[in-house]
Amino acid sequence: MQEDVIFKGSKTGLQLLLSETADFGNIIQQLKEKLESATNFFSKGCIVKVPIANRVLTTEQQQQLTSLFADYGLKWKEVQDPSVSDEQPAAEPTPKPMIITKTLRGGQEIMYSGAVIIMGDVNPGAKVTAGGDIVISGACRGVAHAGAYGDEKATITAKRLIASQLRIADVIARSPDNLDDFIQPDYTETACIKDGAVVIEPAKQQYTFN
Amino acid sequence: MGEVIVITSGKGGVGKTTTTANLGTGFALLGKKVVLVDADIGLRNLDVVMGLENRIVYDLVDVTEGNCRLKQALIRDKRYESLYLLPAAQTRDKNAVNPDQMKVLCSDLAEEFDYVIIDCPAGIEQGFKNAIAGADRAIIVTTPEVSAVRDADRIIGLLESEGKHDPKLVVNRIRPHMVKKGDMMNIDDIIEILAIDLLGIIPEDEYIVISTNRGEPAVVSPVALASIAYKNIVRRLLGENVPLMTIESNEGFFYKLKKVFGF
Ligand SMILES: Nc1ncnc2c1ncn2[C@@H]1O[C@H](COP(=O)(O)OP(=O)(O)OP(=O)(O)O)[C@@H](O)[C@H]1O
Ligand SMILES: [Mg+2]
Repeated sequence: MQEDVIFKGSKTGLQLLLSETADFGNIIQQLKEKLESATNFFSKGCIVKVPIANRVLTTEQQQQLTSLFADYGLKWKEVQDPSVSDEQPAAEPTPKPMIITKTLRGGQEIMYSGAVIIMGDVNPGAKVTAGGDIVISGACRGVAHAGAYGDEKATITAKRLIASQLRIADVIARSPDNLDDFIQPDYTETACIKDGAVVIEPAKQQYTFN
Repeated sequence: MGEVIVITSGKGGVGKTTTTANLGTGFALLGKKVVLVDADIGLRNLDVVMGLENRIVYDLVDVTEGNCRLKQALIRDKRYESLYLLPAAQTRDKNAVNPDQMKVLCSDLAEEFDYVIIDCPAGIEQGFKNAIAGADRAIIVTTPEVSAVRDADRIIGLLESEGKHDPKLVVNRIRPHMVKKGDMMNIDDIIEILAIDLLGIIPEDEYIVISTNRGEPAVVSPVALASIAYKNIVRRLLGENVPLMTIESNEGFFYKLKKVFGF
């Protein structure tokens, strides 16, 4: 199915991009499915930015959006073209880390503006997008995106870092195709950006999980 | 009140219908009152596997739409007095029923039966939502293949978000010689990813195919490997402590499997 609705972490926060041409009913439907699949995972009170350059909404459509978002404890606001936004990310206070106390299964997704700590695994097909760092107490086998709003100093730490894809800010690294040839170390590892590329090294900071 | 168990998987063709038929018949062999519910509306199979196709008059949708009483739609098994089937409608689709109706249906059945076992359709859409709606617990069936395990994981997540926790796992179609050569996922790898309790392992067994074509579940056989494996699962569900054929410490899974199955 074609995606008419895309959530995107950008330098200025969580953005919602709507297709310019798709039927609004379809958009609401797809949006609902996205919100449903990520229930509880959008932080409450989070403000989603909808660039108006993308699509002009009628008052009625705006109301539909507002009430749908409200069902999930979210708000939205219109912004101008995202690329020329003058908002400073640093001006917003850093939110408290979000702590998830379960394993993320395939198809589940977390989006959060701050750091995310997961007490469990991130399984294949699951996705974590965080404005800050990501720390996973178990295995990371899915997709992790730290520093999603552009913070290149963000890191991803997991007891077993075997993610299919790691993203930090705008840099993407994928797992090697011949994973079987690699011996998985039994120590906690951290991914960070060095010289413009994602590198993985033994974790400096020992996170302790109970 | 009886217990409502849904047999689900995500991926198609991994053995949900086979497992429903065998567990249900296995319970009936021990004298339990059981009803099998075919929730795969539009693609019904369970009646064929049970050899009851020619007795269908009313179906699940007739019940939910009020065209007949629940009792009228229940088909008594040929072999076992305490075993019944509620067949799916073949000419309708998944949207002919909704989760609320399924909840009512399941609780009505649970009044009458010790076990209500629901055969879930493949997929994660309406049919899945209907099948799990009234279930107290879930059994996830997978095969030792990466794609089936991925789908099982997704299903576990969806069950969780519906407030259904602690599903149990059945790994079907294990081929010991392939696992041994490393050509198939082993049980440990599967459990590590899914992180749920293993309820049992069913070997690949051509007797399943033979019995399916005959319309008589394999569990009726006193000797077939798959029959023994299904009987073990039934006993575990009844709370008996039947040792799992898994790995403990140094002893490999194959070794155990060999010992138990006599390979
Ligand atoms: N342990 C086994 N050994 C050999 N064959 C098997 C075994 N389990 C299942 N099969 C065969 O695999 C096929 C699919 O099984 P089944 O119909 O039970 O799967 P299903 O999950 O219900 O499929 P669907 O998703 O289409 O409803 C059948 O032909 C069955 O006979
Ligand atoms: Mg089936």
